[in-house]
Amino acid sequence: MVIKRITGINRLVVINKNMYFGMAVLLVALALSGCGVSNVVIEGSFPTPNINKIPVTVAVYYDDAIRGFSYLEYSETGQEEFNIESGQSHMELFNAVLPAMFDRVIVVDNLEDARAEGVDAVFAPAIEEFQLALPAKTKLDVYEVWIKYNMRLLTAEGDYIADWILTSYGKTPTETFRSVADGINEAAVVALRDLASSFSLSFGQVPEVRDWLSSLQS
Amino acid sequence: MKSYLTTARLKPPGFLILLLIIVASCTTTTVDEFRQGETGIESDESVVVLGRRQASDYETRSEFVECVGKRMARGDGAISIVPERQFIDAMFPWFEPRTAPLRTRDLEQLMVEDVVARKMDEFGIRYIVWLDGVTETRDRAGSLSCAIAPGGGACFGGLTWEDDANFTAMVWDVGSFSTVGTISADATGQSFMPAIVVPIPLIARVEANACQRLADQLKQFVNGS
Repeated sequence: MVIKRITGINRLVVINKNMYFGMAVLLVALALSGCGVSNVVIEGSFPTPNINKIPVTVAVYYDDAIRGFSYLEYSETGQEEFNIESGQSHMELFNAVLPAMFDRVIVVDNLEDARAEGVDAVFAPAIEEFQLALPAKTKLDVYEVWIKYNMRLLTAEGDYIADWILTSYGKTPTETFRSVADGINEAAVVALRDLASSFSLSFGQVPEVRDWLSSLQS
Repeated sequence: MKSYLTTARLKPPGFLILLLIIVASCTTTTVDEFRQGETGIESDESVVVLGRRQASDYETRSEFVECVGKRMARGDGAISIVPERQFIDAMFPWFEPRTAPLRTRDLEQLMVEDVVARKMDEFGIRYIVWLDGVTETRDRAGSLSCAIAPGGGACFGGLTWEDDANFTAMVWDVGSFSTVGTISADATGQSFMPAIVVPIPLIARVEANACQRLADQLKQFVNGS
């Protein structure tokens, strides 16, 4: 109703006031977006490996550390910059890879459940280290992710079978309209695929695992 | 003569823009082919084009690989192309950056695996084309200043740079486990971005040209013509 009465120069003033208000809101939003930590949840799809299955039953145990794994990247001034959550994607990856590697795979919440199921072994992966390299810091045109794992294989009673270190690496090039979060996600997904390929192909070559598999056959 | 007069009547900025468009469109592309064996493909056979991603400081962009594949799959002498992502996912984990065969001898060893040979047979793969390369930007010059005020914004100045797309395609014959040829494409072009109030990007399409020329040459090569 009020707008109808505004004419000529008055209308211009109203428009300019609105414009100033809009710009002020935009500036505040931009300033606020520069502060605080950006949350990046790693999401990707992982194919099933084409490998020969090992005839054993394995229980997989994800502890709280891997379920809720996140990595905090700090800026050069020491401020929290990116919080990268990859616990869920790690579980999705193992859930896609392990059934292709073993005859039967079950997910257990504790070792008692594994014992009750009468499995041959319990697999308990752990993330030891996560590293991120951003183009803004390295001055390279790639996003890079390194992850170091401790792969643990136990008997259903909780005794040691094997314990080995595995590292994975992923990189993705920078692109004009790609956000930093997308770059981090893409590099992390490549690293997770690298983990899946090296884990599935090298599992039977780990000396302790090889000995354990031989003992099952004899 | 007529075209000169038409051009001469244009105002200086218009003439400058036209000149820049002409110069920007001048991309030089050189294609080299090195044949090492006979080629040819049947209608029930297909080709997969894959990007090399082993280098530490760059990786062959999947968009370029897709461009070459799509162009090989259309027009005269079109070839059946298996999309890169579909092939790599189906072959997982054998064609990942760390596990992919680097030499034909590695491919021969890989084909000993039943699962790999069966998948390769399902796709009907006759040739694997490995693309390796990158587009680099160099010789950047000029400056561009932009200002925003309540009444609007404007940019003044100009930028120029040179793009160089250098790609090599190595063709493996899956039947004989041998390299049957190598084709390389090198495209260079100068890009400009003059700005008089509004920036006008005049981009040399070097990667698109490299894709087009490389794909056309690969298509002929695989068809054995």
